[in-house]
Amino acid sequence: MSNFTKRSVLRTMLLGLGLATIAQPIWAQDNPIKVGTSMALSGPLAGGGRQSRLALQMWVEDINSRGGLLGRKIELITYDDQGSPAQSPGIFSKLIDLDQVDLLIAPYGTVPAAAVMPMMKERQRLLIGQIGFQINSKTHHDMWFNNSPWSDADSWVGGYFKLGQKVGVKKVAFLAADQEFSQNILAGAKTLATKSGFESVYEQTYPPTTVDFSAMIRAIRAAAPDMVFVASYPADSTAIIRAVGEIGIGSSVKLFGGGMVGLQYEAVMNTLGSQLNGIVNYHTYVPEKTMAFPGVREFLDRYTERAKAENVDTLGFYVAPFSYAAGQILEQAVKATGSLDSVELAKYLRSNEVQTIVGPIRWSADGEWAEPRVVMIQFRTIKDGDAEQFRQEGKQVVVDPDRFRTGDLISPLSEAQRN
Amino acid sequence: MRNNSTSFWAFALALPILGFVLPKVGLNEYYFYVAYVVLQYVVLATAWNILGGYAGYVNFGTGAFFGLGAYTALVAMKAFGAPLFVQIAAAAIVGALLGIGAGLLTLRLKGIFFSIATIAAAIVIETFILNWRFVGGASGMQVIRPEVPLGFETYTRLLFFVMTILTVLAIIVARYIEKSWVGRGLHALRDAESAAECSGVPTLRLKLLACAISGALMAAAGAPFPLYTSFIEPHSTFSLNYSVMALSMAVVGGMSRWWGPVLGAILIASTQQLAASASPELHLLVVGLLMVLFVIVAPDGLVGLVQWARKMVGPGRKEVELARGSERA
Repeated sequence: MSNFTKRSVLRTMLLGLGLATIAQPIWAQDNPIKVGTSMALSGPLAGGGRQSRLALQMWVEDINSRGGLLGRKIELITYDDQGSPAQSPGIFSKLIDLDQVDLLIAPYGTVPAAAVMPMMKERQRLLIGQIGFQINSKTHHDMWFNNSPWSDADSWVGGYFKLGQKVGVKKVAFLAADQEFSQNILAGAKTLATKSGFESVYEQTYPPTTVDFSAMIRAIRAAAPDMVFVASYPADSTAIIRAVGEIGIGSSVKLFGGGMVGLQYEAVMNTLGSQLNGIVNYHTYVPEKTMAFPGVREFLDRYTERAKAENVDTLGFYVAPFSYAAGQILEQAVKATGSLDSVELAKYLRSNEVQTIVGPIRWSADGEWAEPRVVMIQFRTIKDGDAEQFRQEGKQVVVDPDRFRTGDLISPLSEAQRN
Repeated sequence: MRNNSTSFWAFALALPILGFVLPKVGLNEYYFYVAYVVLQYVVLATAWNILGGYAGYVNFGTGAFFGLGAYTALVAMKAFGAPLFVQIAAAAIVGALLGIGAGLLTLRLKGIFFSIATIAAAIVIETFILNWRFVGGASGMQVIRPEVPLGFETYTRLLFFVMTILTVLAIIVARYIEKSWVGRGLHALRDAESAAECSGVPTLRLKLLACAISGALMAAAGAPFPLYTSFIEPHSTFSLNYSVMALSMAVVGGMSRWWGPVLGAILIASTQQLAASASPELHLLVVGLLMVLFVIVAPDGLVGLVQWARKMVGPGRKEVELARGSERA
């Protein structure tokens, strides 16, 4: 006991402090910044979910190769939410309470993401969205920053109706799946049609399990519309286009497409091949020169190699760049604030523009993109059995909006199909 | 028997008390999310077993009753501002009425035909909801949770407490049916319906009763769902997964006793949660393999395994069981 002098205690304390200082960088490596999210890795949305996970993994690898964030490595924690709102709240509770993640990215898709919003608001946590629609419309969470190039239905399919006005459409037909996305878009499309002064001559919704569309296509043909607006999911998109190819849609149709999910995926595009020609549809990114945002092509080249190995959609235009950009949004905010605090990060994102591979992003008060930029593309000169053609310019020509336009709309559909 | 009853009622009393106290002792929120899901499946599997296990009528319409309960609660909340307990009661009544209605229409069918008819019922109800804009239709609807009552910190903790009460109720009902004339009648019609009818068993009345009770419990289990997820849409709410899971849990647990589906639900739902954490890709496979394993190795489920183990440990047990069987007969 007599050896316990003031000097020895001080010496021990200093030694401990010194050791702690030296050990800090090593300790920091073992204490990574955790980023948590969930996505559909099984179930019908798994195609997009797997793209999303791969892109986020690539962001983590890239940032870790540059030394991480705030001197700490990034660790990505993902779970399979099966695209279901029954799964995602439990998963996000786990991410926050058990895994104790520092940063959160919303589930891929509207339905599972909407289910976690009340929890995010209750816990006052920052949430970066990825490919979701109007998720914050009821919750009004002020730390929500969506990363989808649309804000409302007008911003999503408004371009399609603008094109309709340009080519003198008077009569419109609607065909939509009885599912969340397509019904949201249909509601917006009908409002736009009314605003544009179009007369609705046919409207049909169908159950998601429908495989035979021949009766509906015949009915549309009989109604002789100038424009057909379709809001469908991948399997139905394929069946509808095949039915149009077999039966024909009629010479009156100037525009066909609009809100068809699946025409952005490699597998569907390869399957349909030349039957895609002339169709006008929404997209988030296509390899046209007006959309060559800094870093996006380099990312997609690397993504393609990785996707081949992991058996994921190798084009990855629709989801992957936006998931990677979700990571970039966090990266820029953390670097600028030097903090992981949700309030600090949200404050930064509310008042600053973020540079990403999908272009510069700024948010409006509701957390949606301040300047949405969904593009309407027209398929041109597509051949059968050539997967690589979709990486070339001129195959998915941007016809709206003007700032990304790379070609004029070819109309009517029968004329466009010949090109 | 009296000892068993005492311990059962002690358990039945202790579970809701535990459900009330546990959320208030500062445990991690995540455990309540998991526990809620596990208990929800206990109720569904127990309810399924009343018709599927005791009466032998395999029902694939669990998702329909569950979804109907969820949407009834949503309508009660949206149209009348009803509190949660009223929502659950309304869901149970609607579920019972649907059970009776579906029973009257389908109980003349047997075997696979009855099962197909229950799938059809699920599709009909889902299609109706898909086209009903008041509840969001196909787009679904976000549900804003009201103030949390009873001093709970969060809504999830309250819902866990509510689900413990529903679990205890479901178990009490299933146990009563198993041990009463209702259960004996259902067993009789399961083994030989014509013979049971000839012997004076009111088969149609019993089947309708089983349909109503089973439907009411399934719908009651679905009632808190909109507040649990904060977002409801028909596709996931009427999912066939609920039907498959309830059936699998009863099969894995064992369909002859009330505690079979309880054990099956706890085992499968917990395994699924653990497997999902360990491997996002393989968790469905793990659960699938577990089911295949049980069907092959233990066709009578955990109940069969426990009974087999009892026989192995105590050789005199077999005689006791036989004696009890002959008493019943």
